[in-house]
Amino acid sequence: MAKVVWLVSYPKSGNTWFRMFLANYTSDSLTPLALGDIKETPISSNAEEFEEETGLNPFELTPEEVDLYRADCYRSQATRVADQLLYKKTHDAYSMNSMGTPVFPADISYGAVYFVRNPMDVCVSYANHGATEIEHIVKLMINEDASIAGKRAGQLRQMLFSWEGHYRSWHTQTEIPLHTVRYEDMINNPVETFGSIVRFLNLEFDLSRLKRAISNSDFDVLKKFEKEQGFKERMQNCDNFFWKGKIGNYRNFLNKEQTDRLVSNFSALMSELGYIDKKGMLTI
Amino acid sequence: MNLQSPIESLDIVLDEELQFSSEPLYATPRLKINETDFEITIEGVAKFGVKNGRTVSVLPHQDADEASVQLFLNGSVLGALLHQRGVLPLHGSSFVLNGKGIIICGCSGVGKSSVTAAFCKRGASFINDDITPVVAEESGITKIIPIKTQIKLWNDTLKAFGIEEDGLSRIRPSLKKYYLPWEKYNGFQRLNKIIILRTYEKRHYEAEELKGMAKYNALRRNIYRKLYLRGMPETARNIFKHLLKIAEDIDVIVVSRPKISDINATMEFILKQL
Repeated sequence: MAKVVWLVSYPKSGNTWFRMFLANYTSDSLTPLALGDIKETPISSNAEEFEEETGLNPFELTPEEVDLYRADCYRSQATRVADQLLYKKTHDAYSMNSMGTPVFPADISYGAVYFVRNPMDVCVSYANHGATEIEHIVKLMINEDASIAGKRAGQLRQMLFSWEGHYRSWHTQTEIPLHTVRYEDMINNPVETFGSIVRFLNLEFDLSRLKRAISNSDFDVLKKFEKEQGFKERMQNCDNFFWKGKIGNYRNFLNKEQTDRLVSNFSALMSELGYIDKKGMLTI
Repeated sequence: MNLQSPIESLDIVLDEELQFSSEPLYATPRLKINETDFEITIEGVAKFGVKNGRTVSVLPHQDADEASVQLFLNGSVLGALLHQRGVLPLHGSSFVLNGKGIIICGCSGVGKSSVTAAFCKRGASFINDDITPVVAEESGITKIIPIKTQIKLWNDTLKAFGIEEDGLSRIRPSLKKYYLPWEKYNGFQRLNKIIILRTYEKRHYEAEELKGMAKYNALRRNIYRKLYLRGMPETARNIFKHLLKIAEDIDVIVVSRPKISDINATMEFILKQL
């Protein structure tokens, strides 16, 4: 039976980038892998897999009913895979279903890697991803009951909570071991940051392999590949999934009122994560 | 409850404690399956048992509404019945156009019912919605078995067709999806072509005809409730043999449509492939 590693993040926080790194690292590829090779880490809200494992059409169930089956769906998937790590991307907050049972079952979990990114950069990247107004994303990020998908097609409903609520949900649960990395550290200190995940996952640690996988999944490489080959995770109305990827890009897109609103809502967590310094100034 | 099944020679037993009399070959907390026995629990709706393809036992949840019980009886439970009877159910909606039998297969939410309704509004004859049983005859010809008389459509699809929701029944009280009644197709229709509909993030349509193992594997992926075969190895062997025959007899085309697309544009694109 496999053990599941949950690759957890609020959307647009480096999850897909890490999955490309992981594909390159685990395959020990000498040259960059194509974007299509990322398929080995399917999202946990995949409706087709849900139907395949439960025998139920998720769009003829309410999202609350779907949540009753999700833990068993993952157990069933883990049971059918050989003794190895099974990686699953997820944007869900850690939550309980209506029976009080966690959606993410600890008994089949190896652990979770949590990717967190400065919320202002998340906001502009998310707006680009969905070709959505920035204001809409600001409201989504501060909504404590926010959810995405789970309508009539596509993916299962995912409870997001607010940006801070999402982080807190995973960091207050004690059932699944958690390792957290900041997107900014993935950019500024890649060897140390990606290396810390390799060690958390207890994968064989090889420095030259690590450096090569980092280089093979470099943002500019992914961007070039997307231009040449397309990328299935790009939304239909979005021009590029891999857009800017830069730190502090929000300064070009958020107005002062939007920045202030995000900071006032998330100041406690932003301070904890170093996005606000001791004097209350933004560090990015 | 007055439960109805589209399948003939079937006993529906209500409110009886279920007995799974033999050893399951596949089991999860809500499923037990072997060649002759099947049991599924739908939370808040009912526990269903199917035996020998002839008897369905239904134990409704105390708060269950009849529409929900009926919906799963004619969906996931019907799938088990067909597998137990050795009939191959494909996950697709079907119709006859210009004398040719067509099935639109694909995963839930891809638009099988909407496209089928669009063809039927244009004059095609409706056969089945969502589940289409097929049988490969000794002669090598594959036939579609008609079992359904309704198409399940969301309110916005009905609106796009100019059909009022008033007077239509919801498939479940909690969902704005309705049963649109349609005349039952009489007789068995030869199957000529299967369209496997999928969505992607591109902004244009694509079509690809499948050959060889790709064709067989695509058909295999579109078996309705293939999951049940994990507990029915003998049935699975027969079905996969059956599938090989079908793959020889018919054309299979994968149509990729943009995730956000118009039903009529999808229908027009598919029409060009027929």
